[in-house]
Amino acid sequence: MNTTQHQTTTVAGSALSIEFNGQPIPLSSRTTLAALLNAMGQDCTGMATAVNGEFVARDERVHCVLNAGDSVTVFRAIVGG
Amino acid sequence: MSSTSWHIGEHVFTSRFFLGTAGYPSPAVLREAIAASGAEVVTVGLKRALAAGGDNGFVEIIQRSGARLLPNTAGCRTAREAIALAHMAREIYSTHWVKLEVVGDEHTLQPDPFELVHAAAQLVRDGFEVFPYCTDDLVTCQRLLDAGCRVLMPWGAPIGSGQGLVNPTALRTLRARLPDVPLVIDAGIGSPQDAVQAMELGFDAVLINSAVAHARDPVQMARAFNLAIQGGRAGFEAGIMAKQDMAVASTPVTGRPFLL
Repeated sequence: MNTTQHQTTTVAGSALSIEFNGQPIPLSSRTTLAALLNAMGQDCTGMATAVNGEFVARDERVHCVLNAGDSVTVFRAIVGG
Repeated sequence: MSSTSWHIGEHVFTSRFFLGTAGYPSPAVLREAIAASGAEVVTVGLKRALAAGGDNGFVEIIQRSGARLLPNTAGCRTAREAIALAHMAREIYSTHWVKLEVVGDEHTLQPDPFELVHAAAQLVRDGFEVFPYCTDDLVTCQRLLDAGCRVLMPWGAPIGSGQGLVNPTALRTLRARLPDVPLVIDAGIGSPQDAVQAMELGFDAVLINSAVAHARDPVQMARAFNLAIQGGRAGFEAGIMAKQDMAVASTPVTGRPFLL
């Protein structure tokens, strides 16, 4: 399985802690972005994701292994001008 | 009253009204405003959000309106942020169109021209049709075109200010120096007379949000802007008379009517 490693951000965290939409989340083990979203019960319909400020496409989430200190951001559609 | 069509690349438009979707009192009002506007393009956005369905039904209304969606990168301060947001918008909205906003000042919300051009160039390479929100600076506009943009969206005034066209001279210069480029005035329009002015200057379209959403009756205002945009364009196409410094009599009398 291909894995995509993302550079860690400036977010300081514990050995297995990431930031999810600005909130610290401890992880029990290393996981992929797809697995994390599934474990959190996230509705992945109409959602887009970025790790450390870089877009991670829907098809790539299953290959995106999260590292300690990574910052995951989830975006959804809203109104706009 | 109909308007001549215009195009951006291969896409042909009949309406010259782009409508923003933020700030409406209810999804029903937004739905009726979109219909009253005749807009074929509406803008949308993205934000960090954990839960789905937190928009009170607005997004569903927009997606059912039949209008083409133009996602924006509002809130981005750097090219890197805007590029990432654009890619996310493409995935969520299934469109390669993006209204590119890269803010340079938190009070005026005017774009950072350097980050804007950099982001535009990268997004064009990534296959986007980039609609850059820019100021009325001619050279920045030219650099955006050099970067591959096929349309420009210069401001009339700061976003949401409703001031109208604060620098029509600069806008007139853009129109004159870029005669073949689709130009959409975006931001700052406050009332239908501003839209008329924009169209009489020869701009191809206008993008309006606050002036409609914040009106006492947004649906009626959308209708008013629709008429104003069509009227202004019709006036432009009809050829507006030149202003004269002094009076030019219109009734063809021969001198004074009575010689006493």
